[in-house]
Amino acid sequence: MNPLSAAKPQSNPSLQTGVPLTENAIAATAHDLEIRGVSKQFGSLMVLNNINLSVKAGEFIAIMGPSGCGKTTLLRIIAGLEGMTSGEIRLQGKDITHLPVHRRNTPMVWQSFALFPHLNVQQNITFGLTLIPHNRADVKRKVQEVAKMMHLETMLNRPISQLSGGQKQRVAIARALITEPKILLLDEPMSALDPHLRVRMQGELKRLQQTLDISFIYVTHNQNEAFSMADRVVVMNQGNIDQVGTPTEIYSRPATHFVAEFVGNNNLFDGEVVSVSEKTVTVSCPQGRMQALWHEQPHQVGDRVTVVVPAERLSLASAGTPGENTINATLRGFEFMGSQVIYFLETDTGYEVRMIRQEALDQSLSIPINSKLQLSWKIQDTILLGEQIQ
Amino acid sequence: MTKQISIPGKRSRIRWLPQDNSLLKYICLAPAVIYDSIFFLLPLVFLVWIGFWSVENYRAVPGFSLANYSDIFSQFFVKSRYAYAIAQSLWVAITTTALGILLCYPFAMALMFLVPERLQRLLLVLAITPFWTSYILRLYAWQTILNNNGLLNTLLIQLKWVEQPVTIMFTQWGTRIGLLHYLAPIIILILYLVLRNTDRSLLGAARNLGATQWQTFWRVILPLSKPGIVYSAVFGLIISLGDVLSGIILGGGTGQSVLGKFPLFSTVILNEYAASTNLPRTSALATILIGIMMIILVSGLKLTESES
Repeated sequence: MNPLSAAKPQSNPSLQTGVPLTENAIAATAHDLEIRGVSKQFGSLMVLNNINLSVKAGEFIAIMGPSGCGKTTLLRIIAGLEGMTSGEIRLQGKDITHLPVHRRNTPMVWQSFALFPHLNVQQNITFGLTLIPHNRADVKRKVQEVAKMMHLETMLNRPISQLSGGQKQRVAIARALITEPKILLLDEPMSALDPHLRVRMQGELKRLQQTLDISFIYVTHNQNEAFSMADRVVVMNQGNIDQVGTPTEIYSRPATHFVAEFVGNNNLFDGEVVSVSEKTVTVSCPQGRMQALWHEQPHQVGDRVTVVVPAERLSLASAGTPGENTINATLRGFEFMGSQVIYFLETDTGYEVRMIRQEALDQSLSIPINSKLQLSWKIQDTILLGEQIQ
Repeated sequence: MTKQISIPGKRSRIRWLPQDNSLLKYICLAPAVIYDSIFFLLPLVFLVWIGFWSVENYRAVPGFSLANYSDIFSQFFVKSRYAYAIAQSLWVAITTTALGILLCYPFAMALMFLVPERLQRLLLVLAITPFWTSYILRLYAWQTILNNNGLLNTLLIQLKWVEQPVTIMFTQWGTRIGLLHYLAPIIILILYLVLRNTDRSLLGAARNLGATQWQTFWRVILPLSKPGIVYSAVFGLIISLGDVLSGIILGGGTGQSVLGKFPLFSTVILNEYAASTNLPRTSALATILIGIMMIILVSGLKLTESES
């Protein structure tokens, strides 16, 4: 399929509404960044397969996926650091597909920070400004501004080698922001920080984005980072976008088998639809019969489906409550995580099931290992996924 | 009852490394120390020492006298005019090294950034292969190329680019060509390794922040490769200053340059050694040359030290 032809209908909204607006004006008000049908091929390997994504002005987008899913490649394509096989990229309505990297003003915060070791903090921050004819007083004022925002005022003359990881990251962000970009690209910027600092930086980054009111595109493989900061999360898998949605949507309504597995602590059971009633769908799985509520997708008897049950929704069954699904499983072990306990169980068919409970340790310890348990969850907590066509 | 007391300061911080007084440490260090002593330190000390001997009845007599040095320095600007020879040597060494770096830097850059990764190693080996063939053999090969009726001139005349053969042999340019052929592999290797160690993401970051390819070169690649340039310069200067063969075989021992007609200092030392029986004086002259090289080496190290 030609990715360009697929993107065509969206690109002409003015024709549909009949309002004589230029395409640029519409795009500028609606979207900061539009990625249309972007594909990238290395030989026979499809790194990116017809990616379409629109980023609204001032939106915090997290692109999440396992390593090798193409998320960093997509970011590098947006920055112009890498070419694409086909597709189009628009920044604030302007086609930047063929614009060379140094004229895009799409600065990036690198995973390794990529600070220039031969320059000090101030020289690193002003790098982008001093490449073009500039007014010294202007540069000085802007450095002060950015340094203040990133809490770097006291260390402007320090060499890069004397900075801590967190300080390095702040310099990297300051360096990217000084050219006043409309969009900031971040490539796993937290992965080089220690976990404690990471949590603090998440909050800082989110506040920064809200203050600046510019779009952030944040690539990560870390679900916590994506969910805690992003307005919308893009889940990528093998060069495709599997799902785009708010963190809540992604978490509670995974669209594909992959998203259900990658996001959260979901238990997945494969089965076949055996009966469909007005409100519920019944699925027969090797682990037993399970019921789910009707959702957007209509299911028919005989459909192959996957039943998704979040580990947090499972509980130990108290004798046959109506409106609940139950399965039998043997307790194989548990892991104490502080505020919660993860139970590892095995069904009679040898399938691993995880249950997460907010319980005190002493209570869970009272259940002996290898005891047979009955687990239950509410029918409305069951998510049904149709058979994946791959 | 005795208690074992461990003294943390006395122990190596990395456990598997030999402890401070272990035999293993001395065994590991011994070859390096012995090698350096026999082949470097001992001859050097001997050379410097002989420089203080004197000659009586055509025979070198051990002792300690500064007569050789006072004699040399009294002739520094007159008679033998050693200072001019040193200046000539420095002139050849500096121009040759600068030329070498200017020629090898683009080569190393191309090797690093234009050649596919899998071919880089092969090309690097090809680039440094000349280093393993005999230096004298290479110089004689250059003679057949640079002669007035040699390969180069025949070609230039055939192409009608020149009418009269260009005289390169037995000029300072001949000396430089011989030296360059010797230096190029070393300089290419040093520059390539330094460029290779440059973090590639820095180049991407520069471009991403708005730098053109030229700006990326001037503001990131070149400053970051400064240690490589300094090391190359140190190697180039020391080797050029010490070399005598290229100056004789290709340069013809003459030394005509913008500075005037003076021989190279290394040639002067060789001639003194061959012509006179005053070995202590020759040693003193050689000691002066080594002293100059030491100054270059130390300032080179200081220059790269301040970088990191």
